[in-house]
Amino acid sequence: MSPEAASLPEGILAHHFASLERQNEAMPLGMWLFLATEILLFAGLFTGYSVYRFEFPLAFAECSRHLNLTAGTVNTIVLITSSFTVALSIHFARIDQRRAAVVCLALTILFALGFLGIKAIEYTAHFHERALPGKYYAFEEVKVPGAAMFYTLYFLMTGLHGLHVLVGMSVLTWLLWRTNQGRYSSRYYTGLELGGLYWHLVDLVWIFLYPLLYLI
Amino acid sequence: MGESGSSGRANVALHPDDRHEEHAHSAIPYVVVWIVLLVFTALTYLTGKQHLGAWALFIALAIACLKSALVALIFMHLKDSSGMTRLVFGTSLVFVGILLFFTVADVATRFRPATPAGAPFGTERSQPEGLLEHELPE
Repeated sequence: MSPEAASLPEGILAHHFASLERQNEAMPLGMWLFLATEILLFAGLFTGYSVYRFEFPLAFAECSRHLNLTAGTVNTIVLITSSFTVALSIHFARIDQRRAAVVCLALTILFALGFLGIKAIEYTAHFHERALPGKYYAFEEVKVPGAAMFYTLYFLMTGLHGLHVLVGMSVLTWLLWRTNQGRYSSRYYTGLELGGLYWHLVDLVWIFLYPLLYLI
Repeated sequence: MGESGSSGRANVALHPDDRHEEHAHSAIPYVVVWIVLLVFTALTYLTGKQHLGAWALFIALAIACLKSALVALIFMHLKDSSGMTRLVFGTSLVFVGILLFFTVADVATRFRPATPAGAPFGTERSQPEGLLEHELPE
Protein backbone atom coordinates (compact mmCIF):
# COMPACT_ATOMS: atom_id res chain seq x y z
CA MET A 1 0.00 0.00 0.00
CA SER A 2 1.38 3.39 -0.96
CA PRO A 3 1.99 5.91 1.83
CA GLU A 4 -0.59 8.40 0.53
CA ALA A 5 -3.25 5.68 0.52
CA ALA A 6 -2.34 4.65 4.05
CA SER A 7 -3.16 8.14 5.31
CA LEU A 8 -6.62 8.15 3.74
CA PRO A 9 -9.73 7.63 5.87
CA GLU A 10 -10.58 4.04 6.69
CA GLY A 11 -12.23 1.91 4.02
CA ILE A 12 -11.59 4.05 0.94
CA LEU A 13 -9.09 1.75 -0.77
CA ALA A 14 -10.79 -1.60 -1.41
CA HIS A 15 -8.55 -4.59 -0.61
CA HIS A 16 -8.74 -5.99 -4.14
CA PHE A 17 -7.05 -2.95 -5.68
CA ALA A 18 -3.28 -2.69 -5.67
CA SER A 19 -3.30 1.09 -5.48
CA LEU A 20 -5.73 3.98 -5.16
CA GLU A 21 -4.77 5.17 -8.62
CA ARG A 22 -5.90 1.87 -10.13
CA GLN A 23 -9.12 2.00 -8.11
CA ASN A 24 -9.77 5.53 -9.37
CA GLU A 25 -9.39 4.27 -12.95
CA ALA A 26 -11.68 1.28 -12.39
CA MET A 27 -14.52 2.95 -10.48
CA PRO A 28 -15.64 5.46 -13.18
CA LEU A 29 -15.29 2.71 -15.82
CA GLY A 30 -17.64 0.47 -13.84
CA MET A 31 -20.06 3.34 -13.36
CA TRP A 32 -20.05 4.16 -17.08
CA LEU A 33 -20.74 0.49 -17.87
CA PHE A 34 -23.77 0.70 -15.60
CA LEU A 35 -24.82 4.00 -17.21
CA ALA A 36 -24.53 2.32 -20.64
CA THR A 37 -27.09 -0.28 -19.50
CA GLU A 38 -29.31 2.55 -18.24
CA ILE A 39 -29.05 4.33 -21.60
CA LEU A 40 -30.10 1.10 -23.36
CA LEU A 41 -32.98 0.61 -20.90
CA PHE A 42 -34.37 4.05 -21.78
CA ALA A 43 -33.53 3.47 -25.46
CA GLY A 44 -36.11 0.66 -25.47
CA LEU A 45 -38.81 3.12 -24.43
CA PHE A 46 -37.59 5.75 -26.88
CA THR A 47 -37.79 3.13 -29.65
CA GLY A 48 -41.38 2.28 -28.68
CA TYR A 49 -42.10 6.00 -28.71
CA SER A 50 -40.57 6.37 -32.20
CA VAL A 51 -42.69 3.52 -33.59
CA TYR A 52 -45.99 4.86 -32.25
CA ARG A 53 -45.19 8.46 -33.06
CA PHE A 54 -44.48 7.34 -36.62
CA GLU A 55 -47.80 5.45 -36.77
CA PHE A 56 -49.93 8.13 -35.07
CA PRO A 57 -48.27 11.51 -35.79
CA LEU A 58 -51.47 13.57 -35.45
CA ALA A 59 -52.67 11.89 -32.25
CA PHE A 60 -49.24 12.42 -30.67
CA ALA A 61 -49.17 16.09 -31.68
CA GLU A 62 -52.66 16.67 -30.32
CA CYS A 63 -52.00 14.87 -27.00
CA SER A 64 -48.69 16.69 -26.60
CA ARG A 65 -50.53 20.03 -26.73
CA HIS A 66 -52.70 18.95 -23.81
CA LEU A 67 -49.67 18.51 -21.56
CA ASN A 68 -48.68 21.32 -19.22
CA LEU A 69 -45.88 22.96 -21.23
CA THR A 70 -45.06 25.47 -18.48
CA ALA A 71 -44.58 22.67 -15.94
CA GLY A 72 -42.39 20.75 -18.38
CA THR A 73 -40.24 23.80 -19.15
CA VAL A 74 -39.82 24.73 -15.48
CA ASN A 75 -38.86 21.12 -14.71
CA THR A 76 -36.25 21.22 -17.49
CA ILE A 77 -34.70 24.33 -15.95
CA VAL A 78 -34.86 22.76 -12.46
CA LEU A 79 -33.08 19.57 -13.60
CA ILE A 80 -30.40 21.44 -15.58
CA THR A 81 -29.70 23.64 -12.56
CA SER A 82 -29.55 20.57 -10.30
CA SER A 83 -26.98 19.03 -12.66
CA PHE A 84 -25.00 22.25 -12.36
CA THR A 85 -25.13 22.24 -8.53
CA VAL A 86 -24.04 18.59 -8.33
CA ALA A 87 -21.09 19.36 -10.64
CA LEU A 88 -20.26 22.31 -8.35
CA SER A 89 -20.42 20.12 -5.23
CA ILE A 90 -17.78 17.78 -6.71
CA HIS A 91 -15.72 20.82 -7.65
CA PHE A 92 -15.89 22.17 -4.09
CA ALA A 93 -15.06 18.76 -2.61
CA ARG A 94 -11.93 18.51 -4.73
CA ILE A 95 -10.71 21.96 -3.68
CA ASP A 96 -11.37 21.01 -0.02
CA GLN A 97 -14.32 23.35 0.56
CA ARG A 98 -16.48 20.89 2.42
CA ARG A 99 -19.15 23.37 3.54
CA ALA A 100 -19.78 24.61 -0.01
CA ALA A 101 -19.90 21.02 -1.29
CA VAL A 102 -22.53 20.12 1.32
CA VAL A 103 -24.61 23.22 0.47
CA CYS A 104 -24.51 22.38 -3.26
CA LEU A 105 -25.60 18.79 -2.57
CA ALA A 106 -28.46 20.01 -0.37
CA LEU A 107 -29.56 22.39 -3.17
CA THR A 108 -29.47 19.50 -5.66
CA ILE A 109 -31.74 17.42 -3.41
CA LEU A 110 -34.12 20.38 -3.06
CA PHE A 111 -34.26 20.75 -6.85
CA ALA A 112 -34.98 17.03 -7.15
CA LEU A 113 -37.86 17.41 -4.68
CA GLY A 114 -39.13 20.41 -6.64
CA PHE A 115 -39.02 18.37 -9.84
CA LEU A 116 -41.05 15.55 -8.28
CA GLY A 117 -43.52 18.05 -6.82
CA ILE A 118 -44.20 19.62 -10.22
CA LYS A 119 -44.47 16.16 -11.79
CA ALA A 120 -46.98 15.18 -9.08
CA ILE A 121 -49.14 18.23 -9.93
CA GLU A 122 -49.07 17.18 -13.61
CA TYR A 123 -49.96 13.55 -12.79
CA THR A 124 -52.86 14.72 -10.61
CA ALA A 125 -54.22 16.72 -13.55
CA HIS A 126 -53.94 13.67 -15.85
CA PHE A 127 -55.82 11.53 -13.32
CA HIS A 128 -58.61 14.12 -13.07
CA GLU A 129 -58.88 14.34 -16.87
CA ARG A 130 -58.67 10.53 -17.00
CA ALA A 131 -55.83 10.87 -19.51
CA LEU A 132 -54.53 7.49 -18.40
CA PRO A 133 -52.54 4.72 -20.08
CA GLY A 134 -53.97 1.85 -22.13
CA LYS A 135 -57.52 0.67 -21.42
CA TYR A 136 -57.98 3.24 -18.65
CA TYR A 137 -57.77 6.06 -21.17
CA ALA A 138 -60.97 8.17 -21.11
CA PHE A 139 -59.77 11.68 -21.93
CA GLU A 140 -62.73 13.63 -23.37
CA GLU A 141 -60.70 16.20 -25.32
CA VAL A 142 -58.68 13.82 -27.51
CA LYS A 143 -60.62 10.89 -28.96
CA VAL A 144 -58.49 9.67 -31.84
CA PRO A 145 -56.76 6.32 -32.34
CA GLY A 146 -53.25 6.41 -30.87
CA ALA A 147 -54.02 8.89 -28.09
CA ALA A 148 -54.07 6.14 -25.45
CA MET A 149 -50.70 4.97 -26.76
CA PHE A 150 -49.24 8.46 -26.29
CA TYR A 151 -50.32 8.50 -22.65
CA THR A 152 -49.09 4.93 -22.11
CA LEU A 153 -45.64 5.94 -23.34
CA TYR A 154 -45.82 9.25 -21.48
CA PHE A 155 -46.49 7.51 -18.16
CA LEU A 156 -43.90 4.77 -18.77
CA MET A 157 -41.16 7.21 -19.78
CA THR A 158 -41.78 9.89 -17.16
CA GLY A 159 -42.52 7.18 -14.57
CA LEU A 160 -39.25 5.36 -15.12
CA HIS A 161 -37.47 8.71 -15.19
CA GLY A 162 -39.21 9.74 -11.95
CA LEU A 163 -38.08 6.48 -10.36
CA HIS A 164 -34.53 7.39 -11.33
CA VAL A 165 -35.00 10.83 -9.75
CA LEU A 166 -36.06 9.10 -6.52
CA VAL A 167 -33.05 6.75 -6.57
CA GLY A 168 -30.74 9.64 -7.44
CA MET A 169 -32.14 11.68 -4.54
CA SER A 170 -31.46 8.81 -2.14
CA VAL A 171 -27.90 8.43 -3.44
CA LEU A 172 -27.31 12.18 -3.14
CA THR A 173 -28.67 12.21 0.44
CA TRP A 174 -26.25 9.46 1.38
CA LEU A 175 -23.38 11.34 -0.33
CA LEU A 176 -24.36 14.53 1.52
CA TRP A 177 -24.00 12.63 4.78
CA ARG A 178 -20.61 11.25 3.75
CA THR A 179 -19.37 14.62 2.43
CA ASN A 180 -20.40 16.25 5.70
CA GLN A 181 -18.29 13.64 7.52
CA GLY A 182 -15.31 14.86 5.48
CA ARG A 183 -14.88 11.69 3.47
CA TYR A 184 -14.46 13.47 0.13
CA SER A 185 -11.64 15.94 -0.42
CA SER A 186 -8.88 16.78 -2.88
CA ARG A 187 -7.28 13.47 -1.86
CA TYR A 188 -10.29 11.33 -2.74
CA TYR A 189 -13.60 12.23 -4.34
CA THR A 190 -14.35 9.36 -6.75
CA GLY A 191 -17.31 8.14 -4.68
CA LEU A 192 -18.95 11.55 -4.87
CA GLU A 193 -18.15 11.77 -8.57
CA LEU A 194 -19.95 8.47 -9.29
CA GLY A 195 -23.11 9.71 -7.55
CA GLY A 196 -22.84 12.86 -9.67
CA LEU A 197 -22.59 10.76 -12.86
CA TYR A 198 -25.87 9.03 -11.98
CA TRP A 199 -27.59 12.36 -11.42
CA HIS A 200 -26.32 13.74 -14.73
CA LEU A 201 -27.80 10.70 -16.49
CA VAL A 202 -31.20 11.57 -15.01
CA ASP A 203 -30.74 15.04 -16.53
CA LEU A 204 -29.63 13.59 -19.90
CA VAL A 205 -32.79 11.48 -20.20
CA TRP A 206 -35.01 14.47 -19.41
CA ILE A 207 -33.21 16.61 -22.03
CA PHE A 208 -34.68 14.22 -24.64
CA LEU A 209 -38.03 13.63 -22.92
CA TYR A 210 -38.84 17.35 -22.76
CA PRO A 211 -39.03 18.16 -26.51
CA LEU A 212 -40.32 14.69 -27.45
CA LEU A 213 -43.28 14.77 -25.04
CA TYR A 214 -44.11 18.43 -24.53
CA LEU A 215 -43.20 20.07 -27.83
CA ILE A 216 -44.52 17.98 -30.70
CA MET B 1 -3.50 19.43 -8.65
CA GLY B 2 -2.53 23.03 -8.12
CA GLU B 3 -4.73 23.76 -5.12
CA SER B 4 -2.80 21.33 -2.94
CA GLY B 5 0.29 23.57 -3.02
CA SER B 6 -0.16 24.64 0.60
CA SER B 7 -0.30 21.10 1.90
CA GLY B 8 2.74 19.94 -0.06
CA ARG B 9 1.12 17.02 -1.89
CA ALA B 10 0.97 18.76 -5.24
CA ASN B 11 2.53 15.99 -7.28
CA VAL B 12 0.53 13.02 -6.03
CA ALA B 13 -1.78 12.09 -8.87
CA LEU B 14 -4.59 10.31 -7.03
CA HIS B 15 -7.14 10.77 -9.79
CA PRO B 16 -6.95 9.71 -13.41
CA ASP B 17 -7.87 13.12 -14.70
CA ASP B 18 -5.40 14.95 -12.46
CA ARG B 19 -2.63 14.23 -14.91
CA HIS B 20 -4.21 16.69 -17.33
CA GLU B 21 -4.41 19.47 -14.79
CA GLU B 22 -1.46 21.69 -14.14
CA HIS B 23 -3.56 24.60 -12.87
CA ALA B 24 -6.10 24.86 -10.05
CA HIS B 25 -9.45 23.21 -10.75
CA SER B 26 -11.85 25.89 -11.93
CA ALA B 27 -15.65 26.12 -11.69
CA ILE B 28 -15.91 28.55 -14.63
CA PRO B 29 -16.58 25.84 -17.28
CA TYR B 30 -19.54 24.61 -15.19
CA VAL B 31 -21.05 28.09 -15.00
CA VAL B 32 -20.58 28.60 -18.75
CA VAL B 33 -22.15 25.21 -19.56
CA TRP B 34 -25.07 25.89 -17.22
CA ILE B 35 -25.83 29.22 -18.95
CA VAL B 36 -25.47 27.65 -22.41
CA LEU B 37 -27.84 24.82 -21.36
CA LEU B 38 -30.43 27.37 -20.21
CA VAL B 39 -30.11 29.25 -23.53
CA PHE B 40 -30.58 25.97 -25.44
CA THR B 41 -33.64 25.19 -23.32
CA ALA B 42 -35.12 28.58 -24.25
CA LEU B 43 -34.31 27.82 -27.89
CA THR B 44 -36.04 24.41 -27.66
CA TYR B 45 -39.09 26.08 -26.12
CA LEU B 46 -39.28 28.87 -28.71
CA THR B 47 -38.71 26.66 -31.78
CA GLY B 48 -40.99 23.96 -30.36
CA LYS B 49 -43.88 26.40 -30.00
CA GLN B 50 -43.58 27.46 -33.65
CA HIS B 51 -44.52 23.90 -34.83
CA LEU B 52 -42.14 24.06 -37.77
CA GLY B 53 -43.56 20.96 -39.44
CA ALA B 54 -41.03 18.53 -40.82
CA TRP B 55 -38.13 20.48 -39.33
CA ALA B 56 -39.48 20.53 -35.78
CA LEU B 57 -38.28 17.06 -34.77
CA PHE B 58 -34.88 17.56 -36.40
CA ILE B 59 -34.31 20.90 -34.63
CA ALA B 60 -35.51 19.54 -31.26
CA LEU B 61 -33.25 16.49 -31.48
CA ALA B 62 -30.26 18.51 -32.70
CA ILE B 63 -30.55 20.86 -29.70
CA ALA B 64 -31.07 17.91 -27.31
CA CYS B 65 -27.95 16.19 -28.70
CA LEU B 66 -25.89 19.38 -28.26
CA LYS B 67 -27.14 19.76 -24.68
CA SER B 68 -26.36 16.12 -23.91
CA ALA B 69 -22.88 16.45 -25.37
CA LEU B 70 -22.18 19.42 -23.09
CA VAL B 71 -23.47 17.56 -20.01
CA ALA B 72 -21.46 14.42 -20.86
CA LEU B 73 -18.21 16.19 -21.76
CA ILE B 74 -18.09 18.88 -19.07
CA PHE B 75 -20.42 17.95 -16.19
CA MET B 76 -19.66 14.22 -16.43
CA HIS B 77 -15.95 14.87 -17.17
CA LEU B 78 -15.93 12.65 -20.26
CA LYS B 79 -13.52 15.24 -21.72
CA ASP B 80 -10.93 14.22 -19.11
CA SER B 81 -11.84 10.52 -18.90
CA SER B 82 -9.76 7.55 -19.99
CA GLY B 83 -10.19 6.18 -23.51
CA MET B 84 -11.75 3.03 -22.06
CA THR B 85 -14.55 5.02 -20.42
CA ARG B 86 -15.25 6.94 -23.62
CA LEU B 87 -15.34 3.66 -25.55
CA VAL B 88 -18.04 2.30 -23.20
CA PHE B 89 -20.18 5.43 -23.67
CA GLY B 90 -19.60 5.50 -27.44
CA THR B 91 -20.52 1.82 -27.75
CA SER B 92 -23.84 2.35 -25.96
CA LEU B 93 -24.66 5.17 -28.39
CA VAL B 94 -23.86 2.94 -31.40
CA PHE B 95 -26.29 0.30 -30.10
CA VAL B 96 -29.00 2.90 -29.45
CA GLY B 97 -28.52 4.00 -33.07
CA ILE B 98 -28.84 0.43 -34.39
CA LEU B 99 -31.97 -0.20 -32.30
CA LEU B 100 -33.68 3.02 -33.40
CA PHE B 101 -32.65 2.92 -37.05
CA PHE B 102 -33.69 -0.64 -37.86
CA THR B 103 -36.91 -0.50 -35.83
CA VAL B 104 -38.09 2.71 -37.48
CA ALA B 105 -36.90 1.50 -40.91
CA ASP B 106 -39.04 -1.63 -40.42
CA VAL B 107 -42.13 0.31 -39.39
CA ALA B 108 -41.68 2.88 -42.18
CA THR B 109 -41.61 0.23 -44.92
CA ARG B 110 -44.71 -1.75 -43.90
CA PHE B 111 -47.82 -2.18 -46.01
CA ARG B 112 -51.18 -1.08 -44.69
CA PRO B 113 -52.48 -4.36 -43.15
CA ALA B 114 -49.34 -4.50 -40.98
CA THR B 115 -50.00 -1.13 -39.29
CA PRO B 116 -51.98 -0.81 -36.02
CA ALA B 117 -55.76 -0.45 -36.19
CA GLY B 118 -56.84 3.14 -36.85
CA ALA B 119 -53.36 4.29 -37.80
CA PRO B 120 -53.20 6.70 -40.75
CA PHE B 121 -51.23 5.43 -43.72
CA GLY B 122 -48.99 6.97 -46.36
CA THR B 123 -49.96 10.56 -47.18
CA GLU B 124 -52.63 10.54 -44.43
CA ARG B 125 -49.77 10.75 -41.95
CA SER B 126 -48.72 14.23 -42.96
CA GLN B 127 -50.46 16.98 -41.09
CA PRO B 128 -53.08 18.90 -43.13
CA GLU B 129 -52.55 22.66 -42.87
CA GLY B 130 -54.27 24.26 -39.90
CA LEU B 131 -55.81 21.04 -38.59
CA LEU B 132 -54.43 21.49 -35.11
CA GLU B 133 -54.63 25.27 -34.95
CA HIS B 134 -57.58 25.19 -32.53
CA GLU B 135 -55.49 23.07 -30.19
CA LEU B 136 -52.67 25.56 -29.89
CA PRO B 137 -52.19 27.01 -26.41
CA GLU B 138 -53.41 30.55 -25.69
